[in-house]
Amino acid sequence: MTTKAESLTRYRHNAATNRLGLWLFILSDVFAFAGILVSRWALWGNTRPDLNQVLGLIVTSVLLISSFSMNRAEVAAAHGDRKQFMIFMSLTILLGIAFLAGVVGIEWQESPYAPSDNIYGAIFYLMTGMHAFHVLCGVIFLLLVLRNGLRGLYTPEKHWPVEAGAIFWHFVDVVWIFYYPAIYLMGNLVR
Amino acid sequence: MKHVIGVIVFIVVLASAAWGALNVNLLLPAQASQQAQPIDSLFNLQFKLVAVLFGLIAGILLYSVIFFRRKKGDETDGPHITGNTPLEITWTTIPFLLVIGLSLIGSQALAETLRVDPRAIEVKVTGQQWSWRFEYPAYGITSDVLYMPLNKQVLFKITSIDVIHSFWVPEFRVKQDAVPGRVDELRVTASKIGEYSLVCAEICGTKHANMASVVKVISQEDFTAWVAGELGATVANPADRGAKWLKQYGCLACHSVDGSKMVGPSFQGLYARQEEMESGATVSADDAYLIESIRQPAKQVVKGFPNAMPPAAGEALTDVQIQDIIEYIKTLK
Amino acid sequence: MTHKSVNPFSLGLVRGLIGLIIASPLGIGLVSVLLAAQGQEWLVGKFWFTEPAWVLGAVFGSVGFLIGVGAFNDWVKVALGEEVHETHEADPSLPSWTRYYNFSLDHKVIGVQYAVTCLIMFSFAGLFALIFRTELIQTGLQYMTADFYNTMMSLHGIVMIMAILLGLAAMMNYLVPLMIGANDMAFPRLNAFAFWINVPSGIALLSSIFLGGFDTGWVGYPPLSVRAPLGMQMFFLGVYLFGLSSILGALNIIATIVRCRAQGMTPFKMPIFVWTALATAIISLTATQLIALSFQMVMFQRLLGMGFFDPAKGGDVILFQHLFWFYSHPAVYVFVLPGLGMISELLPVFTRKPLFGYKWVALSSIAIALVGFFVWAHHMFTSGMQEFLRVPFQYSTLLVAVPTGVKFFSWVATLWRGKISFETPMLFILGAIVVFLTGGLSGPPNGTVATDLHLHDTYFIVGHFHATMFGGFVFPFFAALYYWYPKVTGRMYNERLGQLHFWLLLPGFILQSFGQMFVGLLGMRRRIADYDPSLNIEQPNILVTIAGLVIGLSFIIFVFNMLYSAKRGVVSAANPWRSRSPEWLLPTPLPVHNYPQPLEVLGEPYDYGLAGSTYVRVNPQSAAAD
Ligand code: HEA
Ligand code: HEA
Ligand code: HEC
Ligand code: CUA
Ligand SMILES: [Cu+2]
Repeated sequence: MTTKAESLTRYRHNAATNRLGLWLFILSDVFAFAGILVSRWALWGNTRPDLNQVLGLIVTSVLLISSFSMNRAEVAAAHGDRKQFMIFMSLTILLGIAFLAGVVGIEWQESPYAPSDNIYGAIFYLMTGMHAFHVLCGVIFLLLVLRNGLRGLYTPEKHWPVEAGAIFWHFVDVVWIFYYPAIYLMGNLVR
Repeated sequence: MKHVIGVIVFIVVLASAAWGALNVNLLLPAQASQQAQPIDSLFNLQFKLVAVLFGLIAGILLYSVIFFRRKKGDETDGPHITGNTPLEITWTTIPFLLVIGLSLIGSQALAETLRVDPRAIEVKVTGQQWSWRFEYPAYGITSDVLYMPLNKQVLFKITSIDVIHSFWVPEFRVKQDAVPGRVDELRVTASKIGEYSLVCAEICGTKHANMASVVKVISQEDFTAWVAGELGATVANPADRGAKWLKQYGCLACHSVDGSKMVGPSFQGLYARQEEMESGATVSADDAYLIESIRQPAKQVVKGFPNAMPPAAGEALTDVQIQDIIEYIKTLK
Repeated sequence: MTHKSVNPFSLGLVRGLIGLIIASPLGIGLVSVLLAAQGQEWLVGKFWFTEPAWVLGAVFGSVGFLIGVGAFNDWVKVALGEEVHETHEADPSLPSWTRYYNFSLDHKVIGVQYAVTCLIMFSFAGLFALIFRTELIQTGLQYMTADFYNTMMSLHGIVMIMAILLGLAAMMNYLVPLMIGANDMAFPRLNAFAFWINVPSGIALLSSIFLGGFDTGWVGYPPLSVRAPLGMQMFFLGVYLFGLSSILGALNIIATIVRCRAQGMTPFKMPIFVWTALATAIISLTATQLIALSFQMVMFQRLLGMGFFDPAKGGDVILFQHLFWFYSHPAVYVFVLPGLGMISELLPVFTRKPLFGYKWVALSSIAIALVGFFVWAHHMFTSGMQEFLRVPFQYSTLLVAVPTGVKFFSWVATLWRGKISFETPMLFILGAIVVFLTGGLSGPPNGTVATDLHLHDTYFIVGHFHATMFGGFVFPFFAALYYWYPKVTGRMYNERLGQLHFWLLLPGFILQSFGQMFVGLLGMRRRIADYDPSLNIEQPNILVTIAGLVIGLSFIIFVFNMLYSAKRGVVSAANPWRSRSPEWLLPTPLPVHNYPQPLEVLGEPYDYGLAGSTYVRVNPQSAAAD
């Protein structure tokens, strides 16, 4: 027989282990993203490709806003506020999808480069592709969390999956904060 | 105390044995460049250090194994010694100083090998699958044998047209990769007349093992004579010129002229032959086809062969040279 | 042992292979249909063999395998918010041996799975070595084409490396939780998943023989790897998968060491092997991403024409080498650190003396791991990278000698005045020290730029790394297998055969490695199917080949010993080595939950010779409450 308090201690213990695991995973992933960034500097040096600046700014803002709404959703889960949780989770997911649509749906079609053209195409698709892949994984994860949340699986004490989703989402966001200037802003424009 | 003396004997014996075995003069190929000298003395120094360190550790180990055996039936434990901080600091600091010293000496040796002689003659080295080509821009000579005058620094400008190769003459010691898209420099001052082998030290595909060229270190007079001979030797017959281009541009690494099958099809009997392509089509090997096969090898691939011919192989050839080659192929009945 | 017939479909391995066989054609077909839809010619013989089709086929196959094994079952449940069982009990209706063929969550089972897979891959790789070595007995090509030689040589290298990683995972999985008083790894499902990816990975690697092979060596440098046959892609995929396994395994080890230690098991009271596991895991967790990235970039260059390493498109060939070695140098410390930990772990037991300078040895592992991150470019001294980088990397490279030296000096200080006994594990430990010493001391000549200009890409390097890997992995791994054999099987291995194994392996090895270094100094290049007769190195090459055969023979004796003793060996005492380590205080076979009662830490791990001291107390008897 486990009492409620015991079960909570156990949950907290497990959540702390999981949290460590997630952070270790992120640390590992940082090396992959950093490797790509280094490749960008090695190949592009102090230049940058000719991309749609307006679109870049829009998708970046979309992602930043989604990070904010993710935070609201997490706070709502911690307070047991199901309605807010649902609203902000859905908003985050929608913004994530909007980001994907902007990058993959529009920017990829519009960009003046094909992957095989030259290093500008190559690195551009590698950076955005790798990041978009992470966003996609995040969106799927958040969809599952939303579904389980709506089924009432999370309580103010026990909502580790929400937290995990949030940590991951913020991480992907921070990566973009490094990637956006590296792709769009830094260096001299080449045509 | 008895043990200390004993172990010192062990160490000295083992270290001297290693010292004797690690004899640079026997282990390295003969020395044939000025750059090899600092390198060999560095080898010598390192091997002595290695011998001493090997003797030190292996000596203590061997001594312990022989003299600190457990007696049969002895179930007791050894002395309770958990460590000794001053000792630990000693054997951290001394190796630290040793490696810093070794590095310093190593950097000096490296600087020695890089010393620039402003009067060095330049040789452009191009690696390709699977041959080397040498160009002497000062004289406008291209050769598939590397001629080097004695005691004169040669500045090699090394590149590759396809994959990575590596320029190495063991007797010269120094080595430099030939990297596509880059030109890297290497300076060698040959110091002994003789014939050597320039080998490729980076795996580059099927015939990596056989990718070698002859290096001839000759006296300054012989070198001048060779240059004069090359410059005077204008070959009148286009077919003869073609044969020369095939040799110089490395085509013979993949193509034979006697009908034997190598990486690429043989040139024997090629002219005007009906060739079957991978795509199923059949083409006649006329001038236009041959030009295309050399300029754009991937466009039509001969049946039964990989699409392995580097486009860059033909890029270095002028139209006239290609015409010469075709003339030569025509003679290969 | 009664033999009940078992439904083959209850074995995860069988289901996995079926999944693989079903899913691979699906992947191939999908790409083919897509290509056909784009108007590509629908030509049998051409279209089935397009590269993207095979790559996607292999990816699908790997996923199919994992689905078949049941790797995703629990995670799907978690994702759908269903309860998953926490228990370790395998399906009780099946005989217990079936655990080893199933998606078991027990770290001890997974450890054994890793060890067996390691030995299988080791046999393959060793066999490849023996095959290509026969070609080197004489100059000229006698038995094989140069392309086949290159494939064998490259596969030998990479499969050996995979075997090493599997062997390390075996030791770490089996031992770390036991040594720190944990009941399992922090993430048992992830652990099992990390093991099972290795199976499709191994299949992909070996399948490359049938898909044209590849001729780049284990390093896969472009542009050669961009032009190599289809087998190259299987190489990349295989490495990619076991790299993933390595990352996930490392994550698990770190989390276990940080979170699952028993009360009182403070960092400096952990058995020393755990320290090396931690150091190794730090490297694998982070650096592995870079080799994955570098291989991924070549795959993309092959599949999509992305010109990362294509000078014609502005790419840079050297960039690949930086990315690759950023992992692959630290990786060599991954290969040896647990082995070095094994030496430090077993020496006290067989000398009946405390480990000399425990803290220094523990921290030297971390130091090696950290310095190891800053030395990668010593593989590129002749590559044409920026000139000014060479000397700094020379300094950092030689610096590794310092913490490694600390280990050596501490080991011989531990031996000094000990009461040494020479059972098989100890023989292998002593062999490991000597062999690793020769390997390590051949490192500084490579690390100094001027001498490396001569040594780079010669057999001297080959001799160097065989010595380090044998001394740092092969010998300690054999020692570990003999040492824990009675714990795993409950029976003792055959001591005679064990000694024979050692006395064949050691001289065989010394001959092999010194022979390699010798011909290397004289000018024999690496990765050549044939050598110039004028070098006069035929005799030493014959000796190296013979040495390889002797090593192969010793390995067969070892495998026989392991199999034979599992059935016929004498039943072993509970703690035959009189070790203080916690796993030896538990009954054999080990309980499913290692420590039903928490372990109590009372003293230091290696206080041999200190009267009345104990390290830990375990109470396995008091029945588990759950
Ligand atoms: C498996 C393990 C392993 C280990 C532990 C090491 C250890 C070391 N290695 Fe090795 N190495 C490899 C595996 C390993 N290596 C492999 C696989 C390759 C080839 C890759 C390929 O191209 O395919 C390679 C290649 C390689 C190169 C590239 C050579 C080339 O291609 O040109 C270099 C160059 O610096 C190098 C250096 C070193 C050094 C300095 C150490 C040091 O860590 C050694 C330190 C140890 C000691 C020095 C001995 C003990 C110390 C003392 C007794 C203290 C006192 C010592 C001194 C003062 C010197 N190694
Ligand atoms: C742990 C790592 C490891 C181990 C143990 C070995 C073991 C051996 N290696 Fe190793 N080797 C590498 C790692 C390793 N190697 C690597 C990384 C490379 C670099 C590749 C590259 O350049 O890219 C290399 C390259 C390499 C070369 C250079 C090839 C070249 O450059 O052309 C040579 C040549 O002599 C060689 C020889 C051998 C031999 C003879 C053995 C012997 O010790 C093998 C002995 C044989 C066995 C242990 C197997 C016995 C098994 C059987 C007979 C089957 C029976 C089956 C059962 C009993 C079930 N190896
Ligand atoms: C790396 C190997 C390699 C080198 C070097 C090489 N070739 Fe080739 N070559 C091939 C291969 C393989 C083929 C067959 C496939 C094809 O048609 O592209 C071929 C085909 C040809 C053909 C068409 C032959 C036929 O039977 O139809 C010609 C002509 C040719 N090469 C000329 C040259 C010339 C001239 C050079 C040197 C400047 C050269 N090659 C260098 C590998 C090579
Ligand atoms: Cu060119 Cu090897
Ligand atoms: Cu290294």
